[in-house]
Amino acid sequence: MHNPPPPRERTPGNPDGPPADLLKVGGPRGAPLAAAALVRAGEAAGVEDAGPVGDRSRGLRRKVAYALMIGYALLMFVPFAWTVITSFKTRPDALKLTFIPDPFTVGAWQYAMETLDPGIVQLFTNSALLAGAVTISNLVLGSIGGYAFARLRFPGREILFLIVLATLMIPDQLRLVPVYVLFNTLGLTRGLGQYIAVILVLAISATSIFLLRQYFLSIPKDLEEAARIDGAGFFTTFSRVMLPLATPALAAVTILQFQGTWNAFFWPVILLRDRDHWTLPLALFLFRENGGQSTNWPPLMAVIVLATIPILVLYIFFQRFFVEGVASSGVKG
Amino acid sequence: MRNRLFTALFASAFVFAACAGGNGSSGAPTTGTGATMPPAGTTGPADTTAAFDPSTITGDVRLGAWESSPAEGLALKAALDGFAAKYPNIKVTQETVAGDYRVQMVTNFGSGDVPDIFYINAEYAPEWMAEGFLEPLDDYIAKQGFDTSAFFPGYADVFKSDGKTYGLPKDGNTIAMGYNTDLVTTPPATLAELVTAADGLKGKGDLKAPICVNPGLDRGLAFLYAEGGSLLTADGTASAIETDASKAAVQWYLDLIKNGQAMTPSQLGDGWCGEAIGKGDVAIAFEGGWLKGALTNDFPDTKWAFAEMPAGSAGKATITFTAAYGIAADSENKDAAWVVLQYLTGPEGMQKWTEGGIAVPSRSDVPVPEGFDVIVKGADYAKPGSGFMPSYNDVQKAFQDAFTAEVTNETYSADAVVTATKAAIDKALK
Amino acid sequence: MAAAAPATPVQASKRAGERQEALAGYAFVAIPMVLFLVLNLGTTFYAFFISLWDWNIRKGPEEFLGLQNFVDILSDTTFQVAIKNSLYYTVIWVPLTMAIGLFLAVIVNQKIRGRTFFRAAFYFPAIASSAAITVLWIFLLQPDGLFNEVRGALGLNPLFQAMGFGPNQNWFGDYHTAMNSVIVLNAWTTSGTFMLFYLASLQSISNDVYEAAAIDGAGPWDAFWKVTFPLLKPGHFFVATVGVIGGLQLFDQALIAGGTNGDPNNSLMTVVLYLYNAAFVQLNFGYAAAVGVVLFLVIFTATLIQRRLFGNTQAA
Repeated sequence: MHNPPPPRERTPGNPDGPPADLLKVGGPRGAPLAAAALVRAGEAAGVEDAGPVGDRSRGLRRKVAYALMIGYALLMFVPFAWTVITSFKTRPDALKLTFIPDPFTVGAWQYAMETLDPGIVQLFTNSALLAGAVTISNLVLGSIGGYAFARLRFPGREILFLIVLATLMIPDQLRLVPVYVLFNTLGLTRGLGQYIAVILVLAISATSIFLLRQYFLSIPKDLEEAARIDGAGFFTTFSRVMLPLATPALAAVTILQFQGTWNAFFWPVILLRDRDHWTLPLALFLFRENGGQSTNWPPLMAVIVLATIPILVLYIFFQRFFVEGVASSGVKG
Repeated sequence: MRNRLFTALFASAFVFAACAGGNGSSGAPTTGTGATMPPAGTTGPADTTAAFDPSTITGDVRLGAWESSPAEGLALKAALDGFAAKYPNIKVTQETVAGDYRVQMVTNFGSGDVPDIFYINAEYAPEWMAEGFLEPLDDYIAKQGFDTSAFFPGYADVFKSDGKTYGLPKDGNTIAMGYNTDLVTTPPATLAELVTAADGLKGKGDLKAPICVNPGLDRGLAFLYAEGGSLLTADGTASAIETDASKAAVQWYLDLIKNGQAMTPSQLGDGWCGEAIGKGDVAIAFEGGWLKGALTNDFPDTKWAFAEMPAGSAGKATITFTAAYGIAADSENKDAAWVVLQYLTGPEGMQKWTEGGIAVPSRSDVPVPEGFDVIVKGADYAKPGSGFMPSYNDVQKAFQDAFTAEVTNETYSADAVVTATKAAIDKALK
Repeated sequence: MAAAAPATPVQASKRAGERQEALAGYAFVAIPMVLFLVLNLGTTFYAFFISLWDWNIRKGPEEFLGLQNFVDILSDTTFQVAIKNSLYYTVIWVPLTMAIGLFLAVIVNQKIRGRTFFRAAFYFPAIASSAAITVLWIFLLQPDGLFNEVRGALGLNPLFQAMGFGPNQNWFGDYHTAMNSVIVLNAWTTSGTFMLFYLASLQSISNDVYEAAAIDGAGPWDAFWKVTFPLLKPGHFFVATVGVIGGLQLFDQALIAGGTNGDPNNSLMTVVLYLYNAAFVQLNFGYAAAVGVVLFLVIFTATLIQRRLFGNTQAA
């Protein structure tokens, strides 16, 4: 398995960290030989621009790099901007290349709120409840499990932890049929049971346990031992001393799980049958499919905007944890 | 911190306990699924002698339906309003199944939590009948003396299996010929005339091709029948696609494309043939009643009309697409569900459902909504266009894949299409 | 060591402490482990079991088939199409996205102003759900959608014409282009994630290496190919492994864009979609479970091959 560095130690891409600056290497210090290499580089990659050794080449290279970065960033944003614009258009206007809706209307939003069944509010509530429950469950189960695997010695610990890691190798699709059959026999494919089914199947991921275990391993033992000497029990030591120290890891798990569940498609599409229980991603899929030959795009775009906003807000405020979570867990949401 | 954690721990323990508890408590309904089946067959004491009087039945009924347009929703509402006025003792709750209706319903059946009465598309009727999802209707039909003779057999036959009836068609469509009246003055009455007319249309106006054809059995089967071919032998137990007549018909269909008389929608760059005729890319397309709504809405300027399918060497032929109402084997309100079913598929309910023009009646005793005379005329001699054999989807797929390959590679030989289709038929019948 | 020594009070209390710790350990891992054992390990064995049966969605096992399901799967032409599609997707999408991800990581890794912003921007599409992204792209790529309109307005149509695409190409609706559209879509979504993986890997390379390379007279291009690229080997292995596993599991986009049949013309039929179809359309649960087993074996083999390919690397 891959042993990611403890998240606290090093933030990938942290502006303060020591970056390996490629340009600095080639530029000012380059020997004559470098010039030829630089020309080739400029032609082939277009990143590290060629030119005489010195500050000018560095400036030029930087300009090219900026142009590329701005171009790619635009590529990332334009589709979303188009989504927002379209959500304020009328249905016929939606297929025209006009950047300012004409007429500007909130009709699609109204339609999405009032006419879509289930409406946006219910979908939003469903998504939030599900994501909240799964996140809490992962935090609780992941931290107690991660702590035990990191700190408590008990016979069978290694083999149990190996089992946890081994589940990372099992594709979800292999479990589709047996999980469905199992939940069906338990009555968890009807009514509110459908929610419990999704929560159960996502209740604890090996990633959460692994991430937290690694973090607990990185915390010095002194504090813990001090607490133990003071007569604190295992649980008190864990909850009062260790857990507060693990906040960054808990934050990373929160972001990963919340985002992952909020966006989840596979298990919800298998297990959430009733439309009253749909989440936003399911609704997007099913509304579109239901639209048949001519989809009513503006309300769908409104649903997309709303389905993305909560994660966007999280992303704006907790970008660091997204980056850490993704880079250190190696598992995308 | 600690309190929150405790709460969270408790919450997760609770979730877990709830699941473990669910094991015992919900075991009952699941086994009940199987247990309710035998009594369902006998349906209480009523079926012995007493005639069945729908107006005496009371209860709540869940009705599962798909809805492909708001107009369809309004039509169903009109029909259900009619029902409510006539049978005030039964309360119908409509549940619109969104998304993939088939998948949604199958998971409904699996969980045992299923509407009492619901649509069944012909496409998957054989599977649903074989899986035991559906309640046989024969007892009800007999008890009430419900007249089923008015249903066109090309629709009703799809929902019968082993001598039992599992659904009654709620409406139906046949494939007819839509033609542009500006370009075609007299619609061709035979396939030979069709070819001649197509040759005459080449290069006219902005036409990309004279005819639009689907590269699959969803239309091709009508031509197969018209030329005396078939997929199955008369008793339905063996493949007949390899017969000379069938092979010749497939070749004829391929030749339409080969000789430039027809193109497929993907060759034309259109989503479907309706769009092709609407845009003026072609002058002739073979579609069902749905063409009317689509052209009226999206291409109001195109002048067109329906005509019967051109007759082939074996005479007139066309195929049907239909859906039925059926009752769940797991339903706990079968009597009430039947009352709903007999109303919606009876003359009165079907008239309310179809008079707005969003569907075409499947009964001969219901007035034909304006513009659908040709579609109903075809129902006199039409054969089922799907649902007449198991795994027909696979057969269609095999045919279409092979057919498309012949068109793409410009080889236009029926041999490979016939071979692939035969293999799929043999597998399906195994 | 001190076998069977009489227990001194200290030893006894130590042993009691150990027992307590062990008990606490079991108590801590109990709930997560039960979940893992039932829902992961248990269901995996259950999948193997179900795969040997003709299994009815309502009634359970009906007939023991042995390995017949597997024989049927391997001889089914649609499955062959599905596995071909999944492999094609993986073989194109993984290297493409790796290349873009590495490229972005290298640029963003420079000491330049705004790089935090750019890094955030490049990762941005990955925060949205696959359903939202796919529906959005279906909207953008439809015949009269934004993409076709924009390339027309930019005068790029001759270029596309040369590649054989008309001005109103139906990207998801034409079986020639449907899978490639999904590839581009997912490269767009995932390039930022791969960039983050590579950034983590890049920053584990010490600056000294570059100093040494510079002294040897290597330019940035040489430095990249001769120093950075080989040193990123653990990163490559990691990204490729994650990518291949994800690629072989392609499902959401295929289902949303192509429906349960992977339309048009099976072009979006992937192995997982085939499995879903077998379970919930064909109602063949035993067969679907067997497809899951086959998929598991394919993924397992692919991972082993990669391990062999990249040698015995310790990941970053």
